[in-house]
Amino acid sequence: MQRTVLLSRGQWMVFGGITVTLGVVLPLLNVLLVPGHPLQVSDFTLNLYGKYLTLAVLALGVDLLWGYTGLLSLGQALFFSLGGYAMGMHLMLMIGKRGQYKSDLPDFMVFLGYPGLPAHWQPFYSFWFALAATLLVPAGVALLFGFFAFRSRIKGVYFSILTQALTYAAALLFFRNDFTFGGNNGLTDFKTVLGHELNDPGTRRTLYVLSVALLGGVFLLGRALTRSRFGQIQRAIRDSENRVLFSGYATAHYKLFIFALCAMITGLGGALYVCQVGIINPSEMMPDKSLEAIVWVAVGGRGTLVGPIVGALSVNALKSWATRAYPDLWLIVMGGLFILVVLFLPGGVVSVPGRVSAWWRRRQARRTAAGVAVAEKPVPAPGEKSAESASTP
Amino acid sequence: MRRCLPLFLLLLAGVTGLTGANGVPPGRAALVAALLAEPDAQPAALRALVGVEDEAILPVLTAWKQGEVFLYTGADGVRIPFRLDTAPDDQGRFAALAVADGRRLLDAEGRPLSLEATALKPIDTDGAIRRAMRDVTELAALVAPDVATRVAAADRLGQGLKPEHRPLLEKRLQVESSPAVRRALHVALALFDLASGEPARQLAAAAVLEEKDSLAGATQLKTLIDQAASQPNTVDSAVVARAKSAVYSIETHYQVVNFVGTLFRGLSLGSVLLIMALGLAITFGLMGVINMSHGELMVVGAYATYLVQDLFILWFGKSGTAFSWYFVAALPAAFLGAAAMGLILERCVIRFLYRRPLESLLATWGVSLILQQLFRLTFGAANVQILSPDFLMGSVTIRDVTLAYNRIFVIGFAIAVVVALVLLLTRTSLGLTIRAVTQNRTMAACMGVRTDRVNMLTFAFGSGLAGLAGACLTQLGNVGPGLGQTHIVDNFMVVVSGGVGNLFGTVLAALGIGAFDQVLQPWLGAVMGKVVVLIAIILFLQWKPGGLFPSRSRNLD
Repeated sequence: MQRTVLLSRGQWMVFGGITVTLGVVLPLLNVLLVPGHPLQVSDFTLNLYGKYLTLAVLALGVDLLWGYTGLLSLGQALFFSLGGYAMGMHLMLMIGKRGQYKSDLPDFMVFLGYPGLPAHWQPFYSFWFALAATLLVPAGVALLFGFFAFRSRIKGVYFSILTQALTYAAALLFFRNDFTFGGNNGLTDFKTVLGHELNDPGTRRTLYVLSVALLGGVFLLGRALTRSRFGQIQRAIRDSENRVLFSGYATAHYKLFIFALCAMITGLGGALYVCQVGIINPSEMMPDKSLEAIVWVAVGGRGTLVGPIVGALSVNALKSWATRAYPDLWLIVMGGLFILVVLFLPGGVVSVPGRVSAWWRRRQARRTAAGVAVAEKPVPAPGEKSAESASTP
Repeated sequence: MRRCLPLFLLLLAGVTGLTGANGVPPGRAALVAALLAEPDAQPAALRALVGVEDEAILPVLTAWKQGEVFLYTGADGVRIPFRLDTAPDDQGRFAALAVADGRRLLDAEGRPLSLEATALKPIDTDGAIRRAMRDVTELAALVAPDVATRVAAADRLGQGLKPEHRPLLEKRLQVESSPAVRRALHVALALFDLASGEPARQLAAAAVLEEKDSLAGATQLKTLIDQAASQPNTVDSAVVARAKSAVYSIETHYQVVNFVGTLFRGLSLGSVLLIMALGLAITFGLMGVINMSHGELMVVGAYATYLVQDLFILWFGKSGTAFSWYFVAALPAAFLGAAAMGLILERCVIRFLYRRPLESLLATWGVSLILQQLFRLTFGAANVQILSPDFLMGSVTIRDVTLAYNRIFVIGFAIAVVVALVLLLTRTSLGLTIRAVTQNRTMAACMGVRTDRVNMLTFAFGSGLAGLAGACLTQLGNVGPGLGQTHIVDNFMVVVSGGVGNLFGTVLAALGIGAFDQVLQPWLGAVMGKVVVLIAIILFLQWKPGGLFPSRSRNLD
């Protein structure tokens, strides 16, 4: 077996450069320069970027499942929200007596007339328990659901539809007031995390840097995973699951592992998201949120690790701008963008340079070898490959 | 002296009734007498109307209560009570109609009398008169032409338990022919017996109440049981035992009734689900395309219904029989509107995605976003109001189960759609080609089937079905831009659990899920019911991964 390197020298340099820019330079620009300076990054902007970065983690989770394993899960928003809720519960308890009702209970519990803190809320006083829960609760749900789904060989669209139903059912549950998670309004009004004020720019900066670190870490993890033997089997399952199965691999185990792993990654992203956004409610786990994440991956380029990040950041930046500039048209733009990408650019934005250069090389070849031009075959984008294999019965 | 007055007036009424050889019925004559009596004597005169069977009594009394009965004194000093015609003439005056015979009054010169409403002073009422009126109206309702009014009157009298009403009820029972009213009369009489305190009559009453499954009876029986518990020696022990068994029997009956009612509502909801899911099953099962915008195509149908309704309001006005027919025109409009939208969708997006279900899922989700936003921009974010046509309002009651007409219609319509679909697939050449393309696309193409065209038509047809479902849904609930989203998850569940591409499985799954949902809702609430249904489906797919009727194929994927 050939020795695989995580990143080549050049790639490390690019990776390091981007990480340092995002994780060190931007926060420094925020701290050192006075507000109003042209290069100053405002607290708001930094917080916004932090939010985008956690969404990019969600996108990476989607891509590891969809782009690499062929599992189009419409339930990723659920795992993201579960992680968010686990962290939100801790933050909620940390409000203490500073809430509206000056009670030890979270506000919504006072409002809804709870006699005391429900037993399953008790352990969330501990930050580390909450952190563990952000990983283990999504993983547990994913394992349970995945076990049943993969055992009975539910795949393809059926898997998508069932995960959609799962997240929809969960959202309906969380919308209920008596489900002890705040119902419609969810969890909000957080004050502190680990003793630091959430409103404090310093805390926000730290959370931002943590988001950069998490995204970088998840990227490297994904890189390691997809370049390993496991990654090869992953892609083999995507391209022809039956062949892998008949070669003696228990594909269900592989799928279960990656499904649970992605749930954990996504859950962590959700936890950091909630710290920075300051609210989590059940609408975050509606199926459309999962689909939105899939749009980011599709636009960026599935089956690559850079694509989802590019997609999540660019589509969200576009969304932030368009929802303010053209609130009525935003959904139409997003829907149209999605249709166009699915129809005409299966490899996403990151495949554009490859396509352009392939087109350029073909053109050059045709020019130089006029007459006996053997047009070079373009390298198919990873997305196309899976599309072709899906279309063969 | 006061006690004699009613008698006297009754006599007077009788006389006027007799003198009314021109055909004034006795009720009206008495009514006129009461209207003409001195205010003090009016309550007694009114009570003389009790038990008199005349349809005219009720409307006149209502008018009197509302101050719409007036007095006209003719040239010869004769006083005539009259009402005004409903619509004014061109000078804003109203024709005066005599209470006694409904004819127009004539003035001194013998010309028809027209009066201005504001210049008139109505005949007064006071508390005593109104009480007497209530007695009369209650009893008059017992002889009203409308069955429902008679039933309600019998119920009310049974609740009131005024001893003087009992003979009237008995008298009515002898001539009453409507089974529903007879039942209500029996129950009312049994309630009288129950209150009598005589054990033998109470036992018989309990038996009647049990036989007639009276809900009011159950309440009374329960108070009797309670009374027996608090004051032991007042009620006979045999009566208490009989009452308990009667209450149990009645309550069981109503549990069954409620259950059947719920099942019926579930069936009607399942029918809408079915029409919609059939469209989805065709496009998904037969063409391998997941259409996430199917819900929005349904909303297209709903909004088409709304537009047709508005057009009819514009042309014919809101009241009138012509308006009711809007729904008949709306059905084809909904079908064609959604089918046209589906056709556009197929030509522009779907046809590039055949046999690529995952991609089709994503692209059509984009379409659904665009359509939702377009609805919001065109029709506003709020729900639009859609009126039910007359013939779909109201309900029929069979053995205490209330079946609303709109729900019956939806169920019938779903059956019609299924039959039409089966006929289309098995008896027409389009159906033949659809089935051929489903089984083997390449082979069908080789045999000269224009698969592209078949796809196009099939997709448009499936979309049209969604439009029909939308039109039906306007009769059961609100219509807003987000309507499609609330139904799409359910629909996919139906298609998946029915077995993809199997129409019979789709039918069973739709009805099953609709009914299951409605049956669970009273116990668990709307949300938990849905959650349980979703979990049940996920578990069901463990047992049968291919749905109820999986499609058999040697293909692995």
